[in-house]
Formats: sequence, C-alpha cells, structure tokens
Amino acid sequence: MEKIGLFLGCNIPLKAPDIEQSIRKVFPALGVEIVDLVGASCCPAWGTAPSFDIDTWLALSIRNIVLAEEQGVDLMTGCNSCFGVLSEAKHLVDHHPEKRKVVEQKLALIEKQYKGTAQVYHVMHVLYKEIGLDRIAEKVKYTLKQLRVAVQTGCHLLWPSEVMQVKEQNPFYPTMLKELCEALGADAPHYSKLESCCGMGAMRSTDQEKSLSLAKEKLLCMKEEIDPDMIVTTCSSCYLQFDGAQKIFRDRGEIDFSIPVFYYTQLLALCMGFDPSEVAALSQTPREEIISRIQSKARMVKED
Amino acid sequence: MNVINVTSKNRQEAIEKIIALGGEGIVRCIQCGACASVCPLARTGFTLNCKKLIRLIQTGHWEEMIEDPSTWACVACNRCTEVCPRDVKPSEIIFAYRRFQAMELAISTSATMSQMNLYMKGHAVFSEAAQLRQKVGLPPLPPTTLSDEKALKEVQTLLENSPMAELGLF
Ligand code: SF4
Ligand code: SF4
Repeated sequence: MEKIGLFLGCNIPLKAPDIEQSIRKVFPALGVEIVDLVGASCCPAWGTAPSFDIDTWLALSIRNIVLAEEQGVDLMTGCNSCFGVLSEAKHLVDHHPEKRKVVEQKLALIEKQYKGTAQVYHVMHVLYKEIGLDRIAEKVKYTLKQLRVAVQTGCHLLWPSEVMQVKEQNPFYPTMLKELCEALGADAPHYSKLESCCGMGAMRSTDQEKSLSLAKEKLLCMKEEIDPDMIVTTCSSCYLQFDGAQKIFRDRGEIDFSIPVFYYTQLLALCMGFDPSEVAALSQTPREEIISRIQSKARMVKED
Repeated sequence: MNVINVTSKNRQEAIEKIIALGGEGIVRCIQCGACASVCPLARTGFTLNCKKLIRLIQTGHWEEMIEDPSTWACVACNRCTEVCPRDVKPSEIIFAYRRFQAMELAISTSATMSQMNLYMKGHAVFSEAAQLRQKVGLPPLPPTTLSDEKALKEVQTLLENSPMAELGLF
C-alpha cells in the first residue's frame, strides 16, 4: 500500500486537529502517502441519518467511500465512530443487493457511482497490518522504555467484528494497540476494565452524569491497577472523553491525579521526533511534562 | 396506575413495525440476557437496554416508550450484536426503534441541532476551528464539505431527497 485516502470526519479536524496533523506526519514518514478525500462529509454520525432513515445513511456513507474509489485508493479514518458507520454501511450494501440498488439510485442524483473497490480501514489497522510493528519500531527516535501506558482501543474498532477487514483475535481482549505501544518501547499491562466503554458519544449527549460515571470507573481502575504514565487510545471520542472528563473530575474534587491522554499517532509522532506544538498541542489535561520527558536526550535511541 | 392491555394484534403490529425499520432479528430473541450483560446502557441503569426494549416490543408495546431517551444513549458499540447467540443484532433493534422516535420527532434539542449542522455544513459535529487548526500548522478549513461548495450541494441533495426532509429539521 503506497497511498491511502484519509477520511477526517468531524471531531478530529474540528476539535482535535493536532490528531489530524499527527496522522499527516507519521504515515508519509512510514512510507504511506496520504491522499485527501476532497469534499468528504460527516460519516454520517450515528445520531443523524442512521437514526432516521437507513437508505439516507447508506447513500451518505457510500458517497464518502466513492470519493476514495474515484482516486483508486482505500479509505482510512482515525475516528472510531466514522469507522463503525462506514464499515457497517459498506457491509450492508455489499451484502444486500436490494440496498445496493437503492443506494445506486440515490447516488445517481449526484452523478456518483459505487463500484465497491475501496476498503474501509482504521488508522490502527493500517499501522498494525500494512506498516507493521517492525517498521514502526525502526522509526523510533525516542523510546518509551520504562513508561507505562493504559491502552484504550475504543468500541467501534472491536465490534461487530463481522464488518471489519482486520480483526482482533478476541475483541473482548484486544491486543493490537497494546502491541503498537510496545513497539515504541512502552509497557502496556492488562487492567480489568480494558474493554469497557468510556461513555462518550450518544451517552454523553443524552445523560452526562451516567456517561461520566463510566469514564470515572475506568479511570479509577487504570489508576488503581496499573498507575499509568499516560492513557493511549486509537479512538478520537475516547480521547476527548478521558482528556475532558479528568478536568471535570478534578474541578469537582473527585480525583486528585492527572493522567495525560494521547491518541496513538500523537504518541508515535512524538517518538519519531515530530514537533509537539503541531502533533500534540491541544488538551485539557496537561501533557507538557510527559512530552518533555519523552523527547529528552536520555530517551534518544537514534540521531536524525 | 395506567393499565395497558395488549392483544396478539398489538404484538403482531409492533413486530412488523420494527422489522420495517430495520430490526428483522427481533423474532429470534429468546431473552437469554447475554446482550444486556455487556451493554453500557444496562450497566449505567438506563430505563431501557437492548434486551428490555426487545421484550417490550415482542409483547406488543410500541408507543409507550416513545419519549424514553434510553435508545438515544446507545453508543452503537455493538457488544450486544457480537455476543448474541441468536443473531438478533440487538443494536439494530435499538436503532430501528430510534428511527420510529426520530420520525415522530421524539428527539432532544441537541439531536435537532446535529441534523441542521449536517445539512448546512456537511458535518453533524461542527464548531469554528480555523484558529485551532492554524495553531497546529494546518489550513484553516479541512478539505471537506466545509471548503467545497459542490460537495456540500451533493450532501444537501441526498438529504433533500430523503424522508428526513419532511421533518422540517433543516
Ligand atoms: S443476546 Fe440475543 S437472544 Fe439473548 S436477549 Fe439479547 S437479543 Fe435476545
Ligand atoms: S450497541 Fe447499544 S444496546 Fe448494544 S451493547 Fe452497545 S450500548 Fe448496548
């Protein structure tokens, strides 16, 4: 795979553009060129068209996938929700000829055609499967040796496994992100709530306190069981939840600790020596200290 | 106390409706509870979760839950669908019921806002991000519908030719 289409979604480009920047930096440096899917829209989010009308959802999702097809590339997204919505839409359309027909008719309204040639991947899948742990490890300039991370894969990367191109052996005991962190030199020990939900997304907008209760349970579990130096996630929603919720808990006096949170490619970019003011610059839970510890002489394993 | 009498006709109707909205697996559910055992809605004590909603519909209850926001808290995680031994796809039942609620406009203000954003911007989650983006060295607008009028028009055309257009949300 020499090129891949980057599907941005909403949260990453508009709320956490430093994640977008980290993706744009690491992939070319690892030998995969990024192609923009110009004119892409929202996936559309679960709370929009998928909650109103299946055919409208499928048409909007497939339009986004067609943008990749037109450029002869597969599609990759860093947002788990987008990944779930697009993968499920593609799966539905590819396995139900009658749905495909409806979608083709809708796309004809905007002069688009669906061929079904582009696959839908998550950033984590491309890193793990296409680029591989060895190539990632080779590019590490600053090692994470003796730093401990709590990994948070995020729901839509795990279930339903039926619709995914790349699957965990056991989605209730995921290991890909753990291995990706270990490739940077970090320890990524197991903790008992490894696969539980952070509460973000629809639950957060429906009942904030219930949503926060899930985040807190999980945070306390990480803290108590493995006391991590940072939380590392492959889901932009989990990122926003853990980063933002910790500030809420601290302001309320409910926790007295602070664990920096990174999206995986941000951490990878830091390990590869990219500028933190571009790839890890926006957060509510402070990260400066751990970033300067990561990008320090003592951790340098490779000169430029 | 309000007593609701359900008849076999009610049951038949409720099942037909949920199937029409995308929940065909409902007929296979045996109420084993596997889905609820992994469901974040059940864990946090929402009134409804996948298993409960299915039971209510199977027993002919339909309109009564229309104002219940539980379905809107479903995080679409699909844990339920992964573990269900009967291939019910419980998450699809939740979404099918949501579609009934949505088309009756039994939705929250924030959900209303998202539909408007999707139509006006092509992004359901929208906020001005030019400054944030420039701060990290990116162009002020992402290469999406936000910087491509023709593309936005395409999204609008798809939405205008959808049953969603009849709801007056955009
Ligand atoms: S796991 Fe499947 S069969 Fe069991 S209660 Fe849930 S939907 Fe019904
Ligand atoms: S998809 Fe919804 S109903 Fe199913 S387990 Fe997740 S939160 Fe519960």
